[in-house]
Amino acid sequence: MTAGSLLSLGAVLVLAPALPGVATKTKALLTGRRGAPVLQLYRDLLRLLRKGAVYSTTTTWMFRLAPVAAVVTPLLAGILLPLDGRGAVLQFSGDFVAFAALLALGRFTLILAALDTGSSLEGMGASRDAAFASLVEPGLFLCFVVLILATGRLSLSGMLGAAPAPSLAMVAVSLFFVLLAEASRVPVDDPATHLELTMIHEVAVLDHSGPDLALLLYGGALRLALFAALPVSVLVSRAPLAAPLALTVLVAGMVVVAVAVGIVESSMARLRLSRVPQFLVAASVLASLGVILQLLT
Amino acid sequence: MTLYFLGLAALVAAGLSAVILGRRPAFADRSYGLLAGAGCVLAGLPAVRVLAGGPAPGVQLAVPTPAGGGPWVFGIDLLSAAFLLVVLGPGLASALYGVRALRSERAHGSNAARLLFVLELAALALVVTARAVVPFLIAWEVMAVLAYFLVTFEHERAEVRRAGLVYLVATHTGTLALLALFASWAGPSGGGSLSFDALAARADALPAGGALVLCLALFGFGLKAGLVPLHFWLPDAHASAPSHVSGLMSGVVIKMGIYGLFRVVSLLAAPPAWWGWLVLALGAVSAVLGVLWALAQHDLKRLLAYHSVENIGIILMGLGAGVLGIAYRVPLVAVLGFAGAILHTLNHALFKSLLFLGAGATYHATGTRELDRLGGLARRMPLTWIAFLIGSVAIVGLPPLNGFVSEWVVYQALLGGVTSAGPIRLSLVGIAALALVGGLALACFAKVCGIVFLGAPRSTAAARGHEAATGMLAPMLGLAAACVLIGLAPALAVGPALAVGASVARAAVETAGSGIPQAVTRIGLLSLMVVALLGLGSLAWAALRRRRPTSQAETWGCGSALPNVRMQYTASSFAAPLLAAYGPLAGVRETRSRTAFHSHAREIVLEGAILPMWAAVRGALWRLRPIQHGRLWVYLLYLIAVLLLLLLYLAGLVGGTSR
Repeated sequence: MTAGSLLSLGAVLVLAPALPGVATKTKALLTGRRGAPVLQLYRDLLRLLRKGAVYSTTTTWMFRLAPVAAVVTPLLAGILLPLDGRGAVLQFSGDFVAFAALLALGRFTLILAALDTGSSLEGMGASRDAAFASLVEPGLFLCFVVLILATGRLSLSGMLGAAPAPSLAMVAVSLFFVLLAEASRVPVDDPATHLELTMIHEVAVLDHSGPDLALLLYGGALRLALFAALPVSVLVSRAPLAAPLALTVLVAGMVVVAVAVGIVESSMARLRLSRVPQFLVAASVLASLGVILQLLT
Repeated sequence: MTLYFLGLAALVAAGLSAVILGRRPAFADRSYGLLAGAGCVLAGLPAVRVLAGGPAPGVQLAVPTPAGGGPWVFGIDLLSAAFLLVVLGPGLASALYGVRALRSERAHGSNAARLLFVLELAALALVVTARAVVPFLIAWEVMAVLAYFLVTFEHERAEVRRAGLVYLVATHTGTLALLALFASWAGPSGGGSLSFDALAARADALPAGGALVLCLALFGFGLKAGLVPLHFWLPDAHASAPSHVSGLMSGVVIKMGIYGLFRVVSLLAAPPAWWGWLVLALGAVSAVLGVLWALAQHDLKRLLAYHSVENIGIILMGLGAGVLGIAYRVPLVAVLGFAGAILHTLNHALFKSLLFLGAGATYHATGTRELDRLGGLARRMPLTWIAFLIGSVAIVGLPPLNGFVSEWVVYQALLGGVTSAGPIRLSLVGIAALALVGGLALACFAKVCGIVFLGAPRSTAAARGHEAATGMLAPMLGLAAACVLIGLAPALAVGPALAVGASVARAAVETAGSGIPQAVTRIGLLSLMVVALLGLGSLAWAALRRRRPTSQAETWGCGSALPNVRMQYTASSFAAPLLAAYGPLAGVRETRSRTAFHSHAREIVLEGAILPMWAAVRGALWRLRPIQHGRLWVYLLYLIAVLLLLLLYLAGLVGGTSR
């Protein structure tokens, strides 16, 4: 644990809400609109924090726990990532399992909160969220296996930042697919949709309002930031760089990923729900190809 | 060893006291609880001492049996000690829960059921400590038969009798395989000793590296453990039993199959690699299919039973990795694999018993196990809900609880294979399978918790639910506390598990790598941080909320002001997208008409393969029926015909030699 890794974590925590803004702005510019400002989410968060909240009479403490968990779990997952390019705040052999499990814990509470409301629409969102997440998991783990085969190291701090290889490009693409699913973006989910029947993540948090919604939005931005940091760390080895430069490269890389998300969003429509599993399996297949390439070399 | 046998005697005494004092229920309850508790503690103490590093006690009894087989040897080594704790801890919780649960079920037969329950516990304890073939098989049979009587407690229901019959057939098929296993292992040695040590000495002489022994063990013990496709008896039997019996069956009894496999591996010095791959593959298949089938269930207890199939799969993946570690000479993988399997066995015993007891409490309160008729129980049964939630988070394998710790150890074993050289690197397939299982288990338990405990009640029965009695709550909370303890202080459990794993792998504990103790400490730290941040965050947020205007309202219905509990999402609809993605593998049969929709979760192996096979055998035998007329002259005709044939044969024989 170093000051550098803590500082980088702090920077990511502060900068995370800008990423969805970058994606939305890219989409707006590509479709010929001016779009909302990049920093819109910060304003939304501040406004929501000042508001009151409405709670459904059906809900219990689980509904109130979920927003807290939505921020705490990506925060703790973040301390396992080597955000400064050298080492994480907390690292141990097999910490990537904990990384995935912490994010899963956040999802588990969110799904329960959605079912807590007793609304059929939120149940629908929760059900789809659970279904798609279970298909993402093998792809994510296979990506980590490629990195382990490439480096022989079992902690995230060791395996990220390997020498460039063709299999790592596949891992980066596969991780980008995983990001699209985990951060609820097109083509898996559409954050801009206004029809509850087609939403996944948005409809699962339909009943949350005020400060609770602010936490959920911030937690979502944090998830996006973590999953954006993963492909950047795979492709760019930042260990030799000076600490300020390493951080700058990370932030620039995350912005590039957010722009890529925006480009995907403006160039294709959301997939039909029955097609989404195929897209997610494609991520696993890509990672498996990476595994095979790595085993052969 | 004296303490251990005293403990077993106390267990038997507890059962007898329940029967003898049956006329005075309050007194009988107390004596039963006290004696059972004392018995489990006494019998467990030697096991704790062994796991803490003490010497392994053993005893030889010269029991004269007509079957021979040498003296009856009992002993507690590290492996036995670990399984003894698996038997006694969750077993005691289930026994105490049974006191209160059976009292309200019905008076008739409940005292005998208690006696059978503690006898079952004693038989289980004997199975894991027996070190010779004869006492092992006797204890095994007693355990299997007593379990049959426990399962068929509510024998007036036809489906319970059917489940019991299928179980009885399955378990005896397994015992037959075990008889063949030990017979082929002992060879034609006649009156020689049949102690496990003698078998171990003969291990090198087994033909083909013990292939026959290993296959018979996988079949016989696998049938008890319930690995796919030998799990067909398990869901019915576990769902039909009273809940505390289900808890014992699912948490402990099926683990005897795992114990058997462990014992065979530890006796055979060098199990071959193909067997390790077979076990790993069967484990992966069991884990994935088990959780997928669980997701399709509508009945809470059947769902939990299928989850046992999944967890047996995870345990087998650890065991398979361990065998691969021995075969490919990577001691790190061997120690971690066995340790992961042992630890997951203990953890699963804890949280699966907890979940079955919780399911029993909801059944008790509502009178239904149908998921789609429950809902909203979190408000009516707050403590049961918290215990059940802890069990759910643990079984999904999420931090900060014990399930995460043992799954992490299994991951470590598979990863150790990936970073080695040679074919063992292919154990990475296990990692993908384990990841998939984790995701599916999350979906499944989100469904169970959300549908049963959250939302609004879906039936009047669910609306009338009430909190469980103290006598039922206390065992549940005790098991939940054990799950939390292992989650927050994983070093307590991982250390002994590594020692057991090393003893089975015949390697030093240190070969597991110096990174493991450090990593385990950090996992504990991470778990503590999860608990602390969630707790502090919730408090801070509650404080903030008090300073903001909050109001209560109906759940937002997107403009429709028709609050109706029947509009809630159901368990079937929650699982539908996932099951659709897996197609026929999920085994769901749907029937639609213009006004109704039914989905039925089939047991693919039982309904798709075993019952048709049985029907075919019956059909073939039916053809033989015309020869049985029941008329005397027909049978006399048969006799004369056979005699004539024999005479002709003899005449031919004599004629042949005289020529």
